Amino acid sequence: MNAANDSLPGLSLNCSSGRWTDDDRRCVAALAALPNMTTARLVALQSGRSPRQAVAMALGEIAPSKAIAATFGRSGDLAGQWAEAGRTMTPERMGEWCAELSVQILLPLDDLYPPLLIDDPKRPAVLFAHGDMAALDRRRVGIVGTRNPTRRGGQTAARFGRELADAGVAVVSGLALGIDGAAHRGVLSSDGPGPVAIVANGHDLPYPRRHHSLWREVAERGVVLSEWPPGTKPDAFRFPQRNRILAALSEVVVVIESRERGGSLITAREAAERGVDVFAVPGPIDERACAGTNSLLADGAAPAADTETLLMALGLDGRRAGRSRYDSRLAPGDDEQQVLDLCRAGACSLESVAEEIGGDLRDAALRLARLERGGWVVETGGWFEAVDEFADLA
Amino acid sequence: MFASIPSAVIVGAQGVPVSVEVHVAKGLPGFHVVGLPDESIRESRDRVRAAVMSSGGSWPDIKITVNLAPSRQRKSGSALDLAIAVGVLAASDQIPVDAIRGLAFLGEVGLDGSIRGVPGVAPMSGALDDLDLVVPVQSTHEALVVARGRVHPVASIRELIGVFADEAPWPDHDVDRPIASLRHEPDLADVVGQPMARHALEIAAAGGHHCLFVGPPGSGKTMLAARLPGLLPSLDREQALEVTMIHSAAGVQLPPSGLVVRPPYRAPHHTSSSVSIVGGGSNDLRPGEISIAHHGVLFMDELPEFTPKVMDTIRQPLEDGTVRVARAALHTTIPSRFQLVAAMNPCPCGEGNRPGDCECGSVRLSKYSGRVSGPLLDRFDLRVRVERPAVDDLVSGQPGESTRVVAERVAVARDRATARQGHLNSDLAARDLDEVAPLTPAALAVLRDEIENRGLSGRGYHRVRRVARTLADLTPHGDEVIDEATVALALNLRTRVVRSLDSGRAA
Repeated sequence: MNAANDSLPGLSLNCSSGRWTDDDRRCVAALAALPNMTTARLVALQSGRSPRQAVAMALGEIAPSKAIAATFGRSGDLAGQWAEAGRTMTPERMGEWCAELSVQILLPLDDLYPPLLIDDPKRPAVLFAHGDMAALDRRRVGIVGTRNPTRRGGQTAARFGRELADAGVAVVSGLALGIDGAAHRGVLSSDGPGPVAIVANGHDLPYPRRHHSLWREVAERGVVLSEWPPGTKPDAFRFPQRNRILAALSEVVVVIESRERGGSLITAREAAERGVDVFAVPGPIDERACAGTNSLLADGAAPAADTETLLMALGLDGRRAGRSRYDSRLAPGDDEQQVLDLCRAGACSLESVAEEIGGDLRDAALRLARLERGGWVVETGGWFEAVDEFADLA
Repeated sequence: MFASIPSAVIVGAQGVPVSVEVHVAKGLPGFHVVGLPDESIRESRDRVRAAVMSSGGSWPDIKITVNLAPSRQRKSGSALDLAIAVGVLAASDQIPVDAIRGLAFLGEVGLDGSIRGVPGVAPMSGALDDLDLVVPVQSTHEALVVARGRVHPVASIRELIGVFADEAPWPDHDVDRPIASLRHEPDLADVVGQPMARHALEIAAAGGHHCLFVGPPGSGKTMLAARLPGLLPSLDREQALEVTMIHSAAGVQLPPSGLVVRPPYRAPHHTSSSVSIVGGGSNDLRPGEISIAHHGVLFMDELPEFTPKVMDTIRQPLEDGTVRVARAALHTTIPSRFQLVAAMNPCPCGEGNRPGDCECGSVRLSKYSGRVSGPLLDRFDLRVRVERPAVDDLVSGQPGESTRVVAERVAVARDRATARQGHLNSDLAARDLDEVAPLTPAALAVLRDEIENRGLSGRGYHRVRRVARTLADLTPHGDEVIDEATVALALNLRTRVVRSLDSGRAA
């Protein structure tokens, strides 16, 4: 790491040992917690001075550098806000808070700071890690997608997560609702390596709240990484920024369901800019949840219908990756099978089933009820979707 | 010199008899109304004075006191104008007191002495027992519907003076049916496709079930709801009278015959105040929309947009069939046994019916669904998803069955239910279900599985069984035992409302 020292633009040269002290880390963490902080401002504050000095400058205790003075000049009362916030959240308090939360502060020269991010054009100035950074030492596949997936999308995410973990690959995702969560749950159902989660808010308040326990489990089995310190709210603008880290840390990114304008398309773009292979799961052309993934395919992303494809992209032998969960359901009868096939092609309503089988509503309802009891379809708001053995994780 | 004139006011949907006592005596000239009149009645002093003077009568420039008895009851409205005018004329000896004995007077007067219609003539006439009635020409039919005595339509005070003072015959007014067409009931044949929603409408009509349509904008929820009254049978004489009284009191235009015979349909906008929907107002406690929809259909479009207060206050009438409105000085109970049809979007963006289609965040979703309280959602036996009709259906679709055809089936099913248990299936008590809606073993197994594995609640279980009973009543032979397919369909008519918060049916 020391060797890289000189080649790192914007890094402090005042740091005599080339390594950071705990105080340095606390100081940068406290800086990151200042209101309206950005990665660029963090870099500007630290440029050419020690983190302690940077804190003093942010609080207005020493004269601001040219760059910071310009920032203050442009941004209203930023100086006042920083001075006030900085007095409340001192480096010492931030250090204690992170320790309480078992959150490690990682700066770009630390051994545990992911080397992949060192050379990234938009390198995070600091990372907050909860869990074991060794999770990143595995081969890594990023799984992203919409927060409102179809059941099939959720099941695919869970399946990919599970099968990749079974194959010894680390799954990188974002702990969001929908695809992200399903992928993480799939990984956790396996005995393979733990998942890596890149989140957009601080470690003090897991977000979304519904993923509170999932967040904890990911931190226990793998690692949860954030660019921002405890106390940071999940503001909307932080999610696209988080996506660049997700992309940078993946060797391959697969998008499972995304609408025409979805956050996962940003991840795909960030990945493409970094030379990371982008895969997309093809979907029906009339499915809104697949519009984004289908357009990715049109733009040259590779189709991924199974984990084998992804493992091959990593240069691994994917032949043994297969269905990994035991299916205990009783096969449906012929009448029901016909309806099940319809549901497998996309969500069906009672009316559409009745029309397809040429029967009345009662007949359709009867067959669907039998499939539902057999665990083959699930009803949500009047729509019936086929489920596979990953339904409980989706 | 004194005269007492019978008249009436409206409280809620009921007429309350009022004696208008007029006393004219020497003293400082003045005109006072006592007996808890409200502002609208105080204003009638000026109207009455001008009306009497423009009708050829003379205004006694001495002390005039009007007492409205019983004096502890608050009174409101302009219906007493005519009685006050007649009282002043009688008390000042311009018309003989004997001539007006046995007559009650209802109506508002204009400054030119004309007599105008007022709301509530039907219930007020009902309250005036066996008296002969003098009413505005416009209100003749309303009065005739309930009056037991004779009804004399008059157009002006001048006419009345003619009758009483000059012993002229009662004026012969042309009281032919006013030109107001019968409310047009739209036909179900206009609805293309939508087999599920059509079926739900038929079931709602046959069993009296409250119904909630969930679907994106443009899926025809309003169109469907407007076709429910057409499927319902006409009101019987007693129901028709009740509804007519309420409509009259609320000032709703009555049909030409004066009697409301078709089930009313009311669709208040979601910005309506809770008073306008539930009923009330400070002085006369006017019937609200839920009472105007008595024995008919109340349609609440965009259900989550109604204020929580409105949604809360309609729950009790939904249970009891009446609404009790109370203010500091008076209170009343107004009938409000209506069938509720509501519509809502599946989510704020309106697209989110099909899995994967919605773009709403979970916070927006839960906020939206949280606006409709669980207890209210629970009142809907039928909760049906409605889709936008397919383009093919729209441009070349076969017209569906017409209202007439479906209404015949509905009538048969309603007859079966009333013959069996004396009321519609939606009113079936839980303890009677095993007797009137027995299940086949397979049907029971479906429900058992639903309760054990998909969180169907006890109340939901009973509601599904009621709907299943109606479904069976609608079959050609009115199956007595409920089979598996019927239960399966009944379950499908009760989907969860908001996607992705919690899946499956239940509650």
